[in-house]
Amino acid sequence: MEETRKRLIDLLSNHHQPYISGQELSDKLQISRSAVWKHMNALKKEGYQIEGVTNKGYRIVTTPHELSETALRWDLKTDWLGQQLIYQEQVASTQIVAHDLAREGASHGTVVVAREQTKGRGRMRRYWESKDGLGLWFSSILRPSGVEPKRASQLTLVAAVAIADYFAKNNIDIKIKWPNDLFINGKKLAGILTEMQAEQDAVQYIILGIGINMNHQNQDLFESDRNKSTSLHLESGQMFNLNQVLKDLLVELEAKFDLFIDEGFSKIKQQWESYAYKLGEWVTVRTQEEWDAKVFGIDEDGALMVMDENDKIHHLYSAEILW
Amino acid sequence: MLKVQEVRELIKLIDESSISDFTYESNGTKITLKKENGEVVTVSKPVNTQPVQEAPQQTAPVNTVEEKAEPKEEVKTEPKEEQPTSKVDYDHEIVSPMVGTFYASPSPDDDPYVQVGASVESNTVVCIVEAMKLFNEIEAEVKGEIVEVLVDNGELVEYGQPLFRVKKK
Repeated sequence: MEETRKRLIDLLSNHHQPYISGQELSDKLQISRSAVWKHMNALKKEGYQIEGVTNKGYRIVTTPHELSETALRWDLKTDWLGQQLIYQEQVASTQIVAHDLAREGASHGTVVVAREQTKGRGRMRRYWESKDGLGLWFSSILRPSGVEPKRASQLTLVAAVAIADYFAKNNIDIKIKWPNDLFINGKKLAGILTEMQAEQDAVQYIILGIGINMNHQNQDLFESDRNKSTSLHLESGQMFNLNQVLKDLLVELEAKFDLFIDEGFSKIKQQWESYAYKLGEWVTVRTQEEWDAKVFGIDEDGALMVMDENDKIHHLYSAEILW
Repeated sequence: MLKVQEVRELIKLIDESSISDFTYESNGTKITLKKENGEVVTVSKPVNTQPVQEAPQQTAPVNTVEEKAEPKEEVKTEPKEEQPTSKVDYDHEIVSPMVGTFYASPSPDDDPYVQVGASVESNTVVCIVEAMKLFNEIEAEVKGEIVEVLVDNGELVEYGQPLFRVKKK
């Protein structure tokens, strides 16, 4: 049953011609035409849009889980974030596109989203697996007025809290690994990459890139990554409508940015600590040398506070932590 | 024994108050907080069943929580001593806008953005400073020639620390 429906979806979406006839479907699936019809109705109930044209056949117009520009724009409930939406089918990286747009003067709140990234960037350009329709990869251009460059790194934490809040509302228990990786059941689910163009005392723009693994099956993840990363689908068993998730996330992100701009970092700090990964546990810190420390919280700047074996508190702004 | 969070909270409250000396004792643990020169110094020590002795803070043996106002100790690297012999002719310094790690190149496999002798425009990216995974591309802000690189790749830099010296053109 499940297998037949999957094959039907394949045939309807990957056929070499735009349309496939009911007879051909029936032959290929080796089921009766009325059985084909029943399966198609079931798919429509799941949110697939199937177009039927007399004497030509059928095709899938949209699937419920795929990103679509129309669906993204429809009923987006933000004031400024993503109202300027740049949607692309395939890009090297949404970060690169956003940088180009920002240099050309794109406005505060512009969001670049792509169905597929061929060179998704992580920290120091580590590859971030981002295949078609499996996850969300988007970059927001921010020009926060009144935020000094040295405070801008807090925006990474602000975004992490927004994402964690969104998933918490959907009963998914997320932890934030300082400063910006989102973990579920000890595996990486999402990452944030923030890049900035700034002068000594003024931010020109910030590109906040977010990547979330959503509908990945096991075979969609690199084999070497399977014990380190995961997707929401693998953890929850559900399939997610990427359009809806992205729109809801933008609402959550916008609210958090506004809170940060209006009231500063202290509220965000509390919320961040409530999601902190391995709070009170021992980790290894790699600075000039390696040493063990206990995760203690974050400070007013957002720097990680750890306590060493002599109960001394250290504030880490930039360090490799071996979790 | 007080929880670390509670100690932290105490420090914060005392820091904001006009109290200069605070002692708390409960269940064999004694904690003394003293403010010196406007900074909070914390001394916490396990107390024996013997009569309580005020321990001089310098000799506090274990369980010492030090909360310094200076937030970047240990992870920070002192700016390099200037070579007394270096007589580089420069008239501009590119400084770091934040605390973080200095990266000379966009990724470990790439060449450095600039090296000594490189000509830069005001919008030429000269390096990245990273803090809390925020990658800040630093622009030269002046037109000229890089005459000295003051920090090494991967080094931790302070707010306002000079990174490059430039001879303006």
